[in-house]
Amino acid sequence: MESKPVLIVDDEKNIRLTLSQSLEPLGLELDTAVNGEEALAKLKEKNFGLILLDLRMPGMDGMEVLRQVSRLRPDIRIIIITAHGTVDSAVEAMKLGAVDFIQKPFSPTEIRDLVSRVIDREKLDEQKADDYHSSIELAKRCIGDRNFDAATEYVRKAISLDPSYPEAFNLLGALLEIRGSNLEALKHYRAAISLDPTYEPARRNLHRATSMEPKGTITLE
Amino acid sequence: MLSNHRLHIIVVGCGRLGSYLANKLSHDGHSVVVIDNDESAFNALSSEYSGFRVEGDVTEFAVLKEVKPDKADVVIATTREDNVNLMVAQIARRIFRVPRVMARVFDPKREEIYRDLGVETISPTSIAGDEFLKALKKQPIIEKAEP
Amino acid sequence: MKVLIVGGGKLVYFLTRALISKGYSVTIINRDAEECKWMSRRLKATVVYGDGSDPQILEEAGSHSTDVMLAVTPNDQDNLVICQLANLRFHIPRTLAVVNDPENEEVFRKLDITAISTVGILSSLIEQKAGFDQIINLIPLSEGKINVTEVELTKDSPVAGKALVDIAMPENSLIASILRGGRPIVPRGATLLLPGDRLIAITLPENYGRVLRMLTGDVS
Repeated sequence: MESKPVLIVDDEKNIRLTLSQSLEPLGLELDTAVNGEEALAKLKEKNFGLILLDLRMPGMDGMEVLRQVSRLRPDIRIIIITAHGTVDSAVEAMKLGAVDFIQKPFSPTEIRDLVSRVIDREKLDEQKADDYHSSIELAKRCIGDRNFDAATEYVRKAISLDPSYPEAFNLLGALLEIRGSNLEALKHYRAAISLDPTYEPARRNLHRATSMEPKGTITLE
Repeated sequence: MLSNHRLHIIVVGCGRLGSYLANKLSHDGHSVVVIDNDESAFNALSSEYSGFRVEGDVTEFAVLKEVKPDKADVVIATTREDNVNLMVAQIARRIFRVPRVMARVFDPKREEIYRDLGVETISPTSIAGDEFLKALKKQPIIEKAEP
Repeated sequence: MKVLIVGGGKLVYFLTRALISKGYSVTIINRDAEECKWMSRRLKATVVYGDGSDPQILEEAGSHSTDVMLAVTPNDQDNLVICQLANLRFHIPRTLAVVNDPENEEVFRKLDITAISTVGILSSLIEQKAGFDQIINLIPLSEGKINVTEVELTKDSPVAGKALVDIAMPENSLIASILRGGRPIVPRGATLLLPGDRLIAITLPENYGRVLRMLTGDVS
């Protein structure tokens, strides 16, 4: 995956520029698209390994692009770019295999680190993964492959290795919601919040899951 | 010319000074985030500006957190109000530990205290005043101006 | 005792009236000329027209001989600068800033400024499940008969490292809560007090000094 090109999809020129500049040191082949349509067209021309996708775009919105990419090329990894305050990071996103998010504004280091992490994740050796962080990464790889049961196992393993991180509990809650075990999911969102009352993803999930609004989105980031 | 290393810089306030800095820094290849209370202020940014823009009141802690000062190398406070600049500069330095923090402070009387607190202050009033005095000394007045 | 208040509106008017009736001497700094005139007519207080975050104005208002400073303007940033100038430049012993954004309460504390959030007080009153008439106003309680004080323990504190049960608290005093790492702990006998803990101590006026000395080791 390291050698495969990366596609940047964002309607804002400054974001495309910033991303290109920030990722330059990684030495990856980069390409850009200004909207969903162009992105899908480019997918047919090149074999991308990773897409950086802005959720909020005019025309075909990010979620729709995600749906189509997920359908056409489920193997491509996706990093979602979000704006503050948008109710995003849907259970839909995770169902479609997207588990990595970055919120604007971000520093060059932030996006570089995230891209590196997603790329390195592909090389992880399951046999050797016996610490919290590797287990979480493997869980995310499974989500990328839509293998939610395996993902759940890895998250549980991560928690047993180190139960002090809210991220694992929130992730587990989201996986349980996808499975339909809503009550159990709530318990895990609450567990995440009790570990860190300021952990936004869990707060949003709990709020959404406990409000009257039936339709909502699960927040991962 | 700034160092070759690409910095992540937050510019608070997109008025004349803020937009000037944001445009230049972005042009020089740095990663820039501009925040201003008023969206129309971003019109002052050049079309080549390749950084982020965020609308919000930086004296609200939740808004400040949104621009992730913990990831910044530099914070420059350029709003029209000294006190806003001093507040955000201090929070950036002492709470988020931003390595370099600079604030424009119009009133020179407030500068000293803030330097002691680790904020680099630039007072346009003192600078302009000193420049005027320097210029005056260079060319003493000998004759009256022609009518 | 001399109190300096920066701000305006009904709050400052009634606060000043209350303080004067208790025998304090009050100076107000206000930026609105009309309001200054109005207040100086109605209050037996010195009213200074100007910007309370201007060191010059603070000087004119007698900051050097002020005991207590309250910054109650509508802007958190102004209240911050006013209190910092009061502390660092004029060495006013007690300063208090009102903050509008409740999150700034903790922020100001980290900048060594005591701050109080009215929004915080009101929203926690609403959140508490008891009816409003059962809510006890914490500061002050019972017409000054009870003191609620926050004390931060340093490593030199005589009680640091000790279990609560091993500390001989005077009669009619107790440690109601401990804030550790930003989280409240309900202390039990076995609870060990650690440096950095912020203790909420409940005392009567007569044992207040003793309890404070016990916790801080300060004999001054």
